[in-house]
Amino acid sequence: MIEYLKWIEDIGISAWVRESPSIFAFPTVLLLHTFGMALCVGVNASINLRILGVAPGIKLAPLERLMPVLWLGFVINAITGTLLVMQDASTKLRNPDFYAKMVFIAVALVILRLIQKRVFRDPAIDKRPFTSNAKTLAVLSLFFWLAAITAGRLLAYVGPVSGLG
Amino acid sequence: MTFLNFAHVHLLLNHLPTVGFGVGFCLYLAAFFGKNEPLKKTSITLLFLIALMAIPTYVTGNAAERALCPERMCPEGVSENAMRAHEDAALFAFLLMELTGFFSWLALWQLRLKPKIASWNWNLILLLSLASFGLMAAAAAQGGEIRHPEIRAVQEPGAPPEAPYEGLTRSLGGMIAGNTGIGWLWPAAEAVHFVGLTLLFIAVLVVDLRVLGMAKSLSFPAVFQLLPVGMLGFMLNLLTGMMFFIASPGQYTNNPEFHRKVLFIVLAGFNVLYFMLVDETWVVGPNEDAPLRAKIAAVVAIYLWVGILYYGNMLPFLGNSF
Repeated sequence: MIEYLKWIEDIGISAWVRESPSIFAFPTVLLLHTFGMALCVGVNASINLRILGVAPGIKLAPLERLMPVLWLGFVINAITGTLLVMQDASTKLRNPDFYAKMVFIAVALVILRLIQKRVFRDPAIDKRPFTSNAKTLAVLSLFFWLAAITAGRLLAYVGPVSGLG
Repeated sequence: MTFLNFAHVHLLLNHLPTVGFGVGFCLYLAAFFGKNEPLKKTSITLLFLIALMAIPTYVTGNAAERALCPERMCPEGVSENAMRAHEDAALFAFLLMELTGFFSWLALWQLRLKPKIASWNWNLILLLSLASFGLMAAAAAQGGEIRHPEIRAVQEPGAPPEAPYEGLTRSLGGMIAGNTGIGWLWPAAEAVHFVGLTLLFIAVLVVDLRVLGMAKSLSFPAVFQLLPVGMLGFMLNLLTGMMFFIASPGQYTNNPEFHRKVLFIVLAGFNVLYFMLVDETWVVGPNEDAPLRAKIAAVVAIYLWVGILYYGNMLPFLGNSF
């Protein structure tokens, strides 16, 4: 197992991200990961907050126009996230916190799908108050994105530390 | 030594919070007793701006200390204890001043929705600005004692030297850095910093992208309802950012990326004021195009906030942190 993880770390692109002194290597990959988070979770959280009653003047339906921004952020983060894991695979892939983060993101995506299906596709959208079902989905979505961000940040602090073992 | 180092900036700025808040507070009282609505708006705008300028004032203080006392060796006549006391007073004054700035901004925002500022907020600003003015005056007086022995209490000749005083800010900073065995404060603050960043970007994304023409069926007054969410995110990040700063000032004091970040934050504050004070963007209805000036302001806002994120991210890579 560990040999396989080491092999991932030694692939050219992993080594480049980790070791290149270029500003476009690790620093920029990390920057894009933060930026993608802001786009993806930012748009998602604005939809959730709107469902929960923040900024009542905003109609929810037009916010769906921002979905491409959310998915742009998600794709940026899927790519940069993969690179960040590859360059430190033997540590990150043995860290339970990493898998917790993946589960949080997966659940958050399922909830996003449900919000799209049940809230945005609702013919009565913006015509009557949001159902408690919609509000529950919004709270859960905020919770799981918050958990994903926190688990991500804590990857630097908990579990196995790079350079050991 | 460069032409203008950050010790100079501290000396340039350091009268602004006290004097500015004094002026803002007097205008506020005048507006209060004169029931003068335009003057109310002027006074809270001033309080917001001074709170904004207090950020570079605070964070250049450590550079001033380094310039005065390189390697923590202070020359004759400079009191390190006075510096620590100044730092403590400044930190409390700063925190209260930022709260005043936040609620002043909120009042500006409320004025966009209603003709009058909510009375709870009006009274809160009165209390907060009075308290921060008092604390800031104390911080300024302490700051004066650092370099002006003529105003310090006379010390008896032959009296034992003052015991060194660590200062509350340094103790608090040490605790955040984990020196007292509490390891989770810094990581927790980092997680909150990322959450705050996301909240801030909600406002940046929805408001500025609408100004630029996305989701056009929304009216401006509607999207501007999101601005307090962004400001709340900013306040979370200011608070957690200051936790990092006092925990490890050396990482930031001489870090050019940090200076650029603070400069961009100040510029972003002025950018927000455009949206708060200029009427032309607040009358744009659904499916209407934003005026050109608003579009320029939106592009500038996106540039500044992405820049702030960039400089924050690059602190350890281009700068000399960590």
